Amino acid sequence: MLLSHPTIGRLVLSAAVTCALAAPSYAEDILIGVATAQTGGLAPYDQPSLAGFRMAIDELNAKGGLGGKYTAKLAIKDTRTDTAATITAVQELVDAGASIIVTPCDADATIAAGQITVAKRIPTLTFCGTAPVLATAVGDNLFGTYPGDNLQAAVIADHAYAKGFRKAYLLVSPDSSYTAQLPEYFAEVFKKKGGAVVGTGSFTMGQPDFSAIVTAIKALPEQPDLIMTAAYEPDFPAFIQQLRAAGVTTTVYGADAIGTATVQGLGKLVDGTVYTAAGYPTPGGALEAFNKRFATTTGHAAESAYEANGYEIGLILDAAVKAAGSTDPIKLRDAIAGLDKLPIVTGTITYAGTNGMPVRAVSLIEYKDGKPVYIATQTPAAADVPAAAH
Amino acid sequence: MRGLSSGMKVALVDAAAMALAVAVVAGLIAAFGSAGAQRVATHAGLLLVSVVSLQLFSGNTGIVSFGHAGFAGIGAYVVGVLTMPAAIQATALKNLPVLLAGYQLSLGSALVIVAVIAVVLGLATGAVLMRLTASSASIATLALLVIIVTVLVGAREITRGSQPFYGVPRGVGLATATAAAAIALILARLFRDTRTGRMTRASADDAVGAAAIGIDRRHGVLASWTLSVVGAMIAGGLTAQYIGAFKPQDFYFDLAFETLAMLIVGGLHSSFGALVGVGATTLLIEVARRLEEGGSFFGVEVPPVFGFTEAVLALAMLLVIWRRPEGLSGGHEMELLRRLVRLRPPAPAPEPDVRPPAAMLTTRAVGKRYAGVAAVADITLALPTGQVTGIIGPNGAGKTTLINLIAGQAAPSSGGVYVDAAPLAGLPAFRVARTGIARTFQNIRVFPHMSVLENVMTAAERIEPNAVAAERAARRELARLGLADHADRLAGTLPYGERRRLEIARALVTRPSFLLLDEPAAGMNPVETDALMAILAEVKRVRGLGIVLIEHDLGLVMRLCDRVAVLDHGRLITEGPPAVVRADPMVVEAYLGSRTSARALARLSEQTQ
Repeated sequence: MLLSHPTIGRLVLSAAVTCALAAPSYAEDILIGVATAQTGGLAPYDQPSLAGFRMAIDELNAKGGLGGKYTAKLAIKDTRTDTAATITAVQELVDAGASIIVTPCDADATIAAGQITVAKRIPTLTFCGTAPVLATAVGDNLFGTYPGDNLQAAVIADHAYAKGFRKAYLLVSPDSSYTAQLPEYFAEVFKKKGGAVVGTGSFTMGQPDFSAIVTAIKALPEQPDLIMTAAYEPDFPAFIQQLRAAGVTTTVYGADAIGTATVQGLGKLVDGTVYTAAGYPTPGGALEAFNKRFATTTGHAAESAYEANGYEIGLILDAAVKAAGSTDPIKLRDAIAGLDKLPIVTGTITYAGTNGMPVRAVSLIEYKDGKPVYIATQTPAAADVPAAAH
Repeated sequence: MRGLSSGMKVALVDAAAMALAVAVVAGLIAAFGSAGAQRVATHAGLLLVSVVSLQLFSGNTGIVSFGHAGFAGIGAYVVGVLTMPAAIQATALKNLPVLLAGYQLSLGSALVIVAVIAVVLGLATGAVLMRLTASSASIATLALLVIIVTVLVGAREITRGSQPFYGVPRGVGLATATAAAAIALILARLFRDTRTGRMTRASADDAVGAAAIGIDRRHGVLASWTLSVVGAMIAGGLTAQYIGAFKPQDFYFDLAFETLAMLIVGGLHSSFGALVGVGATTLLIEVARRLEEGGSFFGVEVPPVFGFTEAVLALAMLLVIWRRPEGLSGGHEMELLRRLVRLRPPAPAPEPDVRPPAAMLTTRAVGKRYAGVAAVADITLALPTGQVTGIIGPNGAGKTTLINLIAGQAAPSSGGVYVDAAPLAGLPAFRVARTGIARTFQNIRVFPHMSVLENVMTAAERIEPNAVAAERAARRELARLGLADHADRLAGTLPYGERRRLEIARALVTRPSFLLLDEPAAGMNPVETDALMAILAEVKRVRGLGIVLIEHDLGLVMRLCDRVAVLDHGRLITEGPPAVVRADPMVVEAYLGSRTSARALARLSEQTQ
């Protein structure tokens, strides 16, 4: 197909028009570039995060802007869950003069984005990426916002040890950073406290049959009193059903990805299973209040903790702009890195003293009689959180 | 350009034009485009390398490959590990085997190593693929993709498993991507018009027809697969240095489908199609994603509508598949030279003065049983050079089976086939063809997607010293069969009778000792039949080859043949000169069966005498 000249002309024209229409940043504005996956495999995480983030920015702008001074302009681009498209989108946002970049929940897309923003040290925040390595892979301008895998694992290990568990079995899958590394972080903290790991099993995400692993657990010379995994659907339900069917009653702990209706629906099978969340909407608490406000503002209920987390990024940026008193990216980066116990919806968040993955509250929840029961919200000391696995 | 075949001249001009077009677009973007536009162009260039590599294999063999995405992944990790600064390697890849650590190679050196690994992997996997037919080979590439990604995930010490692999220096910009894309386009365009390229396309078009002119299908599959694996792995290596951070899943089904979709949109069967596919898709994405971001258009506030780009892409693909099933390029190369200049074809080669040596093709008690039914039983025939032997018999008598047994399309259940003392039975068809036995088929087997000239030239290349000689020999045979004016037409567009003549030209150009013709005059009118018979008689006179002719037109058989063999129910009833056979009551009884037919035969003999 050879394009005729009029077609090329129209394309050039439309490109020129759209470029001209891209919002220019004025003296009292701050341009925030949002390059996240609104379509594709990451959309279930990035869409709710964006909804919460936009709500925060709208509210802050109504109150005079970030730091009460700078009206925030959002330039939003869809990366279609594609790393190369993320690079292009971030480059365009940097070209347009963005002072802050928000990236997808995926660690490698965030790292790829960070390689572009690192040159100007533009602060780059991932929506809900939890792999601790993303904060250290490129430079000090990358920040996590959601509880990192290592942070969650530290809270779970702490709780497990306090409950009297001493011998753990790890169920990992090399198929994702989350399923591979989180149990390992758990083991690190658990062992430091005095616990022991008596075995490790590996599964393939999506495998229907866990009988080999169940048999291996039953045959262990030293029976574990806890099984730790970061498996989620459909693996977690499949595993626990087959485990219980084989007569193994050992308690199973998981992480934030099993806080779903499906797992809750397993009823008695998951009795005693403890998992984490970025927050828990306790009656009368701040998260419940946020969820209500979110539902009124957007017209639909919050589906997950990601809405609140997206909203909290708005609060983080507001505090950073206030502290920096400027829209200069480097000053903003320094301001974020210096945030200490900033009050947010689910508790407080601290970047000071970390390498970019925040220390923040993690809620522990336990399934009892098919219902999630809130245990506690904990904020571990930065020193207790295991270092990011490189 | 005197020493080049017409096809290669056209290919060179096309290749240069495509490379130039890519360079000009890249130059304009480098000069006037924003950093963002340059990123878009760089990524498009890298995709082009991937898609062109895929086209080189899938376009020429007709085997759709999903495995290329995985090979791109291997290339990415090899370049990643070999070019990573030692300091980063020490933290990012703590458990890297010492053998692989600390090279810090330049991108160029790393790509050379990638190419070497690609050749080894390509040959190893290709050795399996080449033994499979199109659809099972496709499934095998799918399996390869799964295997590769599983291994990449499993090799945690080298790849960090599913965790992001980072710290790769980013040395690929617009210039590198453009150069790589241009080189890939040139190679893919030229490959198509090399001898191997033609053989590969011929086998993809009609594997049985290709074997009958001595083409070993496996050779083309292996060659194009290995070459295209090299391209895919280099594309992956370059991508690694462009995106800088990745995980094995980035080289999985999504990438496989994305590159395949681009190729199908552009046109699977041409390198130009790959270029058009990547160009059109990139343009579409760029326009659509600007619209979906919303904003203020001429005073009207439009909210962002994400997903619009994907919807537009899906719609465009549906539209292309519906309106242009062969892709936007129509599956054709540009063939600029042919369109713009009136190419003067090289003169047809003169008739070779070397005659094939006198030989004797014999079947000795040959038989073929299909699940207990004897299609051919115990047939012993001598078919010498210099003679036309007719094989006649009612439908189902086993005539075509006998030809298939001789030419290697089927292996005999008993007995043997010999040229002089050399046994042929059990050899694959392409090897039988190489002993000097050419054939045509009852259901014509020309290569429909290749030009008339290419059809004959591909056959000629087995015996001619180079492509130019092959082209000249091909033009000689086309002239002989009255097809010279159709040389550039696609064979599939020829009418029935001309396709039959093309098949005969293709057989004759191999200068066979024996020519087996399965109903060559079927579907021809009497004038065409007479012309064909004259040609065959002349060829026999000049070349002294042996012709074996299956034909229902008894008049033709009796006039042309020196000897006639009559088959019935798979058995040889009688054999001898036409006059003797015609008078044999067994023939009248078995073959013609009734008194009416006997009268017809008598009338026939009056006519022919």
